[in-house]
Amino acid sequence: MEYSNPEIPEGINSSKAHPLKEFLWLTSGVLASIFVLILALVVFVDVLTSYIPFSMEKEIPFPEIEAGSEQGPLPEYLQSLADRIVESQDLPDEMKITIHYLDDETVNAFATLGGHVFFFRGLLEKLPNENALTMLMAHEIAHVKHRHPIKSLGRGLVAGLALSVISTTAGDAIIGNFLGEAGYLTILKYSREMELEADETAIKAVNSIYGHLGGADDLFKILKAEAGSLEPPEFFSTHPLTDDRIAEIDSYVDASQKDKTTPLPDKFQEWITEASPQSATE
Amino acid sequence: MIDLAIFLSLLALGYGFGRHAEKKHYKSIIKREKKLRGLPAIAAKTPTMLSMPGESHLVIGSVVVSVDYFKRFISVLRNLVGGRVTSYESLIDRARREAVLRMKAQAKDMGADLIFNTKFETASIYQGRGNQVGSVEVLAYGTAIIPARQG
Repeated sequence: MEYSNPEIPEGINSSKAHPLKEFLWLTSGVLASIFVLILALVVFVDVLTSYIPFSMEKEIPFPEIEAGSEQGPLPEYLQSLADRIVESQDLPDEMKITIHYLDDETVNAFATLGGHVFFFRGLLEKLPNENALTMLMAHEIAHVKHRHPIKSLGRGLVAGLALSVISTTAGDAIIGNFLGEAGYLTILKYSREMELEADETAIKAVNSIYGHLGGADDLFKILKAEAGSLEPPEFFSTHPLTDDRIAEIDSYVDASQKDKTTPLPDKFQEWITEASPQSATE
Repeated sequence: MIDLAIFLSLLALGYGFGRHAEKKHYKSIIKREKKLRGLPAIAAKTPTMLSMPGESHLVIGSVVVSVDYFKRFISVLRNLVGGRVTSYESLIDRARREAVLRMKAQAKDMGADLIFNTKFETASIYQGRGNQVGSVEVLAYGTAIIPARQG
């Protein structure tokens, strides 16, 4: 047997390809697949949820929220405004809107399953005129009209499940988290689309009630002031950029309508104090 | 967003240091392999005719390597889609060759001129601990033949 000692060439047991090239291919491929998967699931869920009758949605239990009294001038005024908006948005008869008032500093309002719409004291007491309040309420009622709460719930459940499977498969906490976040950002894109749809419907409703859109943008000016410099980049946010939402409304408003706002009832602030036993004792 | 920043800096750190270390290591491996070419390590179970034993001795070389974050990230994505885990291949290649070199260095110090019955063992150090960055030991061992002194 002849023995020789040849020099073994490099690159047999390891790849010569640049690692960054593989990194780019893999990352873009996996992220694109997650994007397509979430997109497919969102479309799938949206189609299926549209078959869930509203009456069934009303029976889905959601966490009990301690809302203020449903009696008194404030809840009654809010409910009467809601009824006007319901009429102008042409909601089906079975979609009954129930307004709730929450005695809390939070500057926010939200709509949830079964046509329940919640308003926080923190936002209501900042509103300068009825147009802004109507814009706010019309936006939340539009969410109900377009079945957004049940769609969000469905997307959250299905896409959330898919993402948690992917991220646990990764086997590394930080990398799993990264993949999950990437999928979540995809869901956010659809969340922003919902907000835009609700804005659009709300703009039409405000326009049909007052005949113009003056003052409607005051709502977003308050939200902008509240977010301050903390507003995240649109890509990372559930909502579209506030500036864009203001610009959308302003594109329908001409100078003469700017000051044609309808004031809130004289006693609005008093009603808020009356309906807020917590803050009264402070 | 802070998560993303931490993640990206871990990746950059892993890539920067890992890549630098790998290049440096390969350079050193190739240089030392050339130097130790005269001392063959073969897998045959019995010594060849090349060498008349005076003395034989067990020689071992052991290396522990850890994967960097960048390589780990690539391997995690590979786990999802399948295919060659090239990021680990170069790491294991380095560990195996380094282990042989250490074994050869020990044999050379003893004055050996051949190592036969060369074998490898590997041990995963973080086995079963899912969220840890993995390390692996590569152990090369064989029998060194130290020729009998002439005269």
